[in-house]
Amino acid sequence: MKTSTVELACIIDDDSVYVNLVKKIIETKKLCENLLVFSDGKQSIEYFEAILQNLEAEQIPEIIFLDLNMPVMDGWEFLERFTKIKNKLDKAITLYVVSSSINPLDINRAKSLSSVEDYLIKPVNISELESIFTKTA
Amino acid sequence: MIKNTLFKNVINDIDIGYWELYDNTSNWSAAFIKKLGYNPDDVEIKLDYFLNDLIHPDQRDAFRDNFFNLVRHYLDFKQEISIKCKNGEYKEFICITNDNLPVNVHGDSKVIFFNEKKYITNKKVKKDNFYYQESAEMTSTGSWYVDFKKQKSYWDDQTKKILEYPEDYTPSLKDSSQYYAEDHQQLAADCFFKCAMAGNPFDTEIKMLTSKGREFWAKAIGKAVYNDDNEIIGIRGVFQDIDEEKSKAITLQKTSDIIASQNSRLFNFAHIVSHNLRSHSSNLSLITQLIDDVNSIEEKLELITSIKDISESLNSTISHLNEVVTIQTQTDQNRVEVCLEMTMATVKKSISRIIRESNATINVDFSQVKCLPYIPAYMESIVLNLLTNAIKYKHPERDPVISIKTYIKDKKTYLEVSDNGIGIDMDKFGKKLFGMYKTFHYNKDAVGIGLFITKNQIESLGGQIFVESEVNKGTTFKIQF
Repeated sequence: MKTSTVELACIIDDDSVYVNLVKKIIETKKLCENLLVFSDGKQSIEYFEAILQNLEAEQIPEIIFLDLNMPVMDGWEFLERFTKIKNKLDKAITLYVVSSSINPLDINRAKSLSSVEDYLIKPVNISELESIFTKTA
Repeated sequence: MIKNTLFKNVINDIDIGYWELYDNTSNWSAAFIKKLGYNPDDVEIKLDYFLNDLIHPDQRDAFRDNFFNLVRHYLDFKQEISIKCKNGEYKEFICITNDNLPVNVHGDSKVIFFNEKKYITNKKVKKDNFYYQESAEMTSTGSWYVDFKKQKSYWDDQTKKILEYPEDYTPSLKDSSQYYAEDHQQLAADCFFKCAMAGNPFDTEIKMLTSKGREFWAKAIGKAVYNDDNEIIGIRGVFQDIDEEKSKAITLQKTSDIIASQNSRLFNFAHIVSHNLRSHSSNLSLITQLIDDVNSIEEKLELITSIKDISESLNSTISHLNEVVTIQTQTDQNRVEVCLEMTMATVKKSISRIIRESNATINVDFSQVKCLPYIPAYMESIVLNLLTNAIKYKHPERDPVISIKTYIKDKKTYLEVSDNGIGIDMDKFGKKLFGMYKTFHYNKDAVGIGLFITKNQIESLGGQIFVESEVNKGTTFKIQF
């Protein structure tokens, strides 16, 4: 029996099928207490920028899973803006880029960013996801 | 007289001197006498005179023997002799009789030819000249010279031929721009001016104009001519007709451009296939993992139903890709004359409901270009996409006003669709606007395939699409066919 130690995780992805599946895995495996879901970068960065105005630590996720190809604001632009405010958020946030892109240019670019912990290629597998949550906890 | 008229003409042409011998007399040709610098009246046409006064004393005996052997015994000979000219100097000749000639004279009289030795060098010059003319003609290269002092330009025959002027044509220096195509007159002026003023040589490809108004590509090479004081006194150069080569190069460039654009579309397509299909396959793989992982049958069944969703998305992606593939395989051969009014009527009919509901005004002006050769289905798809986009992304505070018009600019046909909608932030999205599955607004109808297909259709027929937009003001799409 696992005990969930991650309080809040966040998924930023426009693929609803994928989001539902990950949700299902997290629920089944009880990987975290709560889950935030945004369908693109814009909505999520607005969320983080709003937190910055009135800091409430419990609203800040410990883990972010970020997709790259999204409408309106893609993962890259999110990362650019997120890096600027990351240090002002009073909590350690581990960010994973999760994308179906196997383009080495994307992979290297993402890995070179200090705010990116790692690059996961879709499909993620269940045990991988589990170990990430355990590690972050 | 020499019977062979053909040969006679030849020797007349090359101005050769000869003696024609009869029983007791001989006839010296005018050319022979002239070559020595005498008037026919000055000389005694007698062998004794020749032997005593004209031939070099050292060769006198040998020549006399040869001469009598020829006259009496028909013995042909070949001898080098020196003959004194009127100015007192000796000129060298080669005496040849019938049998030693390269051509059979078929004469009924004996002939001694006096072939001036200088003639050999003459022959060589003529030969070089022949090679020069041949290479000029075979490579379509004409020479020219511009003399600044005399303010004249000179063309050789080949230059006149290339430019289709008669052989007696005198080229004009003042109006020399008339020899170049209008759009290349400046280039010509630049080349000549720089060469004349600074001595810069030029070697350029330029469009020239013949007397008959035909444009052709030429290679123009020129360099300054200096006098002893190092002043530029003229320009000398060549024109080479390279029209055939240039046309080939242009065709090759076009082919290469087409291949490059097809290749980039293929590359794009490969990327789309890998990316878009991958996202579905990765979901499928995730779902099967999960099915394995959950314990209850109910949960497994619930997951199986989501396979249906993935299957639907996969189908729609594949149908989109299918559309793209169809575009790649269409060729110019399917073009027919498309009348825009008719296209517009079809499109309006198919979206009459959304036009009505959005209260859209559509201003149409096809007066400048009414019809153009295109693939009708593409034209409909392009117009449909741009119109529906203009309505879909209308400004929330005003009714859509869309104008669609055609015009010609720089010999190219354009179709322009502009709206007063919400606009697009070009700095942010400009590069991605025509990408597949890219949407930039929170709009429930946004799929992100329309502009991608539109761009592919336009480019597959060699056209281009441009966009100008300002947020909250509106968007203009320009299609160059």
